Formats: sequence, structure tokens, C-alpha cells
Amino acid sequence: MADLKKLSEKTPENELKKHIGLKASRTIGNTLIYILLIIMTVIWLTPFVCIVLQSFRCESTYIVGYVIPQQWGLDNYKALFQTDFPIWYRNTLITALCVSVLQTVIVLCMSYTLSRFRFKLRKPLMKFMLVLGLFPGMLTMIILYRVLKDLGLTQANAVPGLILVYIASSGMGYYISKGFFDTLPKSLDEAARIDGATRAQVLTKIILPLAKPIVIYTILTAFMGPFGDFVFARYISMNTSKGMNVAVGLWSWLTPDQVQYKYTMFCAGGVLVAIPVTILFLCLQKYYVEGVTGGAVKG
Amino acid sequence: MASVKLTNVKKVYDNKVVAVHDFNLDIADKEFIVFVGPSGCGKSTTLRMIAGLEDISGGTVEIDGVVVNDLQPRDRDIAMVFQNYALYPHMTVYDNIAFSLRLRKMPEDEIYKRVTNAAEILGITDYLLRKPRALSGGQRQRVAIGRAMVRNAKVFLMDEPLSNLDAKLRNQMRAEIILLRKRLDTTFIYVTHDQTEAMTLGDRIVIMKDGYIMQVGTPTEVFERPANLFVAEFIGAPKMNTFKAELVKENGKYFVKAFGAKLPADGENGSLLAEKGVGSREVILGARPEHITLADGPAENAIETNLIVNEMMGSEVHLHVRTKDGTDLIVRVPTIQLSKEQRANLYSGATLYITFEDKVMYFFDPESQKNILFG
Repeated sequence: MADLKKLSEKTPENELKKHIGLKASRTIGNTLIYILLIIMTVIWLTPFVCIVLQSFRCESTYIVGYVIPQQWGLDNYKALFQTDFPIWYRNTLITALCVSVLQTVIVLCMSYTLSRFRFKLRKPLMKFMLVLGLFPGMLTMIILYRVLKDLGLTQANAVPGLILVYIASSGMGYYISKGFFDTLPKSLDEAARIDGATRAQVLTKIILPLAKPIVIYTILTAFMGPFGDFVFARYISMNTSKGMNVAVGLWSWLTPDQVQYKYTMFCAGGVLVAIPVTILFLCLQKYYVEGVTGGAVKG
Repeated sequence: MASVKLTNVKKVYDNKVVAVHDFNLDIADKEFIVFVGPSGCGKSTTLRMIAGLEDISGGTVEIDGVVVNDLQPRDRDIAMVFQNYALYPHMTVYDNIAFSLRLRKMPEDEIYKRVTNAAEILGITDYLLRKPRALSGGQRQRVAIGRAMVRNAKVFLMDEPLSNLDAKLRNQMRAEIILLRKRLDTTFIYVTHDQTEAMTLGDRIVIMKDGYIMQVGTPTEVFERPANLFVAEFIGAPKMNTFKAELVKENGKYFVKAFGAKLPADGENGSLLAEKGVGSREVILGARPEHITLADGPAENAIETNLIVNEMMGSEVHLHVRTKDGTDLIVRVPTIQLSKEQRANLYSGATLYITFEDKVMYFFDPESQKNILFG
């Protein structure tokens, strides 16, 4: 007890001791956290590094027991262009770009409408979409396929078919942007409308500039969905190479009879797919983070 | 510049709550009208119906003789200033003010002329290139007024524009709005819950309660001749003292019996009462704090009270007194009228005798709460 009392006295030595103790414990804590983070990073990055390294390997096209290539080169990348890969890549890009534009427009209009307009079925509609959104999209696959087949939008024509499928239900993804719009004061809309703006002008000139993070978030998510999709793309393209997207096309190289010739090309293709997405995220990550967290609390 | 006419205007919300009942009002060209009332009285709703931001459930709104019920706000040629300023945060002050002109596709040099002119009048020229968040509350409100000014709109609507400002700034802006009004010379409709603003700004005041108009009149009218008890208590600060009293007619002369005192009412009001043929009856008597005077001592016409609180306001003293039967009254005495001795006697618990004259008495019917003389 006496020791404790002595320690709790505010003498300069005690203060210094306490300070050193605090500093030491903080340093130890930080070091532990960093070690943990480094371990996680290594686990996270290893597959990516392996794929990048394999893509530069020239000596063998098959899976080997080592990571670092013995012969480096761009052979795999060059070989990619002798295959249908450019077509897949083009398909994917067209799909993703169209979807990101159309879906963004639909989602933002939907969110604005639900945030600002008051109409009779607004609440039931929102609840209906919430419930509908709980069902996995895969459930619709069979009927969607029938419909698209009747429309002639499968196999070689899979791209427009896919675009249609992706944007069809995009209105249901209104939650985050509606949440953000709700935080913007309504009087801004009113002031703009009195100033002479139409509803559309209010949206484009006032609301969207203020909701930039959410717009970018919406574009990014709309782009990412089709860019990495496999299930629908595979189903709708149905083994027709011309209608495949990158994911489906590359996957077709992993069949037992193909994989020994094309494994390294598969890796090179993977790297090429990752590049635009990586660039996009690096440029827009600031907005992305703001967008995801912004809807909840930003006033 | 335009007249505004509201005929039987009604607002019913979806949940069947009636916010505004049959609202009838003719607003003349270039008139400054103030809607005033406690919160929830429907004054803002009425303004928003004129602006077109709120659907009109019944009746018609005319601007310059044209029924605007189904017109969009942008087609009504009105300008509006909001309580929370509603400046566009992503635009500079210049762009904020120019926004409406740009939407009308006005040439840029004309826009420049108008914006700089408005900025000069409002003293915000130095801030034109700033964003709203870099401005103080008063400056923001000026920008909001500027935004409404450049439009040269037919009607100028203001929805509690000073409520977000601190007291000192509010007084200053109030004076500026009076000047602005002279300069713009257009029709103003101004909403406030502050009776001082209403009294100082309005040509006519519309006092509202629970969606009904209580009285429409000039500031002098509503102050001197309140139509009912609500208006009487709402206009004037501190609010009017009201209490139950007995009006007695004896040998053709009127007296008021209250708190054991007998106050003669045989002056101006007495003759008015006689004209109306009012007999002896129960009334609610109103007396404004500034009209009550301190009597020298016990007398037939003096009410005996105890001083509860003495609020020294500087130029005047507010005395909160309690009568023998426990009614609280407020008396407002100019400091200059009090002698040193009198001031020393204003301690809690001191016995004070108060009285007031016939001409400052207000008589209300206890049932209908209407003013017996002017209701």
C-alpha cells in the first residue's frame, strides 16, 4: 500500500517512469499489431504473386513445383493474342462498361425518387424490393435462360443478353445511395426548384455533385459485378467461345485436356484482367471508402 | 411585383391532419405581409403552398390574377429565402447567386452585372469566390437573400430567415430587410414565430393558430385592438396580463372588480362599453405590463400584491408580482420613473400596490375569448 501511495504521488521521477512505461507498452502493442498485419498481408498476397510470376514463365506451360521461373519472358502474353482471349476481353469490357453506365443511371434515379418523392406505393415498393432482394439471383437462372434463348440473346449473342440480365434488377440496389441522398437537406431541392430547375436539373446540378462519392461507388460496383461474373456468363454463353467473357474463357483452359498447354497463359490472362480494375480502384479508392461509409453517418 | 390572393386555401395531410383551414387573404401589390404564430400553426405550410412546394388540398392561390395551383414552383416566378439558407455547398457564392439566371439562359455579362450589383448591396462582394462553408451565418443569409434578389421575381417569400442567427445579428439583419424591401419594392410574404419581427417588418400581420387566421391587421391594429385573447397574449413582450374580473355597471358608470380592488372604467373604454350596451358581467381583463403603474399606497383602485422577482433589464424593470389569490402578473416600469427610495424597496416579498387606467384595459369574453369591444 505504501508503495502504491508513493507511486501515485506526482513527483517528476514518477511521472517520467509512468511516461516510459506507457511508451513501452504502446510500442509493444504496435509491434504485435504490425506483425499480425504483415502475416495477413503475406497470406493475402501469395496467390497474386504466384500468378504474376507464373505468367512470366517460359520454360513450361504446365503446373510446376516451384514459384520463381527459370526462364523469364512475355511468351505467354504474346500467345494470348493468338487465342480468343481478345474477344473475351472485349466482351467483358463492353458488358461491364454498358452495365456500369446504365445501372448507375437507373440506381441513382431510383434512389433519388425514393428519397425525395412521396407517392402512395413508395413504402410497399421498398419493402417488396427488400424481400425480393433476399432471394439469390441464381434462382432466376433457368427462366432467364429460356427468355434470352427465345430472344436470341444466348451463345454468340451473349453480350447484349448479359447486359440485359445485369441491369434488369439494378433498381433494387438503391439502399446505399438513397441513404446518402436522405442526408442531403431537402431545402436544397426546394431552393433549386424555386430558382427554376426541373427535377432532372436538381438531380444533375445539385444532388449528384454533392453525392460524388456515392456516384463513384455506384459506378465501381456496377462495373465490378459483370467484370468478374462467372455463373451467368457461363450459362448464357453455353460453350460458345465468341460469347464468353474473360472469366468463363479463362476457366475453359483449366479443363484436364487443356490445362497442361495453357496454365501459364491462364495466369497471364488473369494478370491482364486485374490491371484495369486495379488502376480503377487506386484512382477512386478515396471516394469508394467515403461512399461506403458516407451513407450511414455523413450529415 | 404582383398581388397574391388566397381563397379558401386548405391543407390536409395524408394522415388526415388539417394543417390549414379555409385561409382567405388578399395581398396587395408591393405589400409586406407577415405570417406569425406559434410553431405548428400552419404559417410555413401556407407559405410553401404559395411557393408550390406543397400541394394545395383545396381552394385557390392566385398570383397576379393567375391561378397557380397546378404550376411548378419554377413557373410561378417567385423567389424564396429559407431558414437554413439552403445554399448549394459545392458552388461558390457567385455561382449560387447566378444559378437561377443561368437556368434561364441569361447572357453571362448580364449575369455578372446582376450578381455584382446584388453583392454590393448586400456587402458580400469580397466573398463572391468563396464556398458557403467558409462564410458565417449572417453572410450565408445575405447570399441566400442575394440569390432571391437577382431574380426580380414577382413575389419574395421568406421562411423564418433570421431564426438561425444570434440575437445581435438578427436585429441588424432585420433593419437590413427593411432597407432591402424599400429598394426592391416588391411583394413580400414573410413567415416568423417572433412577434417583434412581425411588428417591425410587416405592413400587415396575419396571426395564425392551429391552422386558423386569428386576426389580420396592421401592427398598430393588432397591438391596440386585438380581436381575441390569443392575439392579445401573442403580440407584445412581455405578454399581456390576463385574469378573470367582474365588469360592473353602477349608475351608468363602469367599474372593474378584480383582486379586491375596484378600478374605474369610465373613460374611452367606458363610453365604448356603453355604446355596445354591455351590462354587468364576467370578463377576462387584459392589461399590458407597460400600462400598469405602481400606486403610492393602499387605495380603492389599487391591487395589493407581493413582489416575487425583480428583473433589472437596464432601461426598465420587470416586476413579477403575485396577488392575494395567487395570480401572477408582470409589471414593466421604466427605470427612470423610479426614485432611489422606490428602487430600494423592490425586494422579494415587498408589498406593492398596482393600478391601471380605463384606456389600457382590454375586455374579453370568457367563453368565446373574443374582444368585447373590437372582436
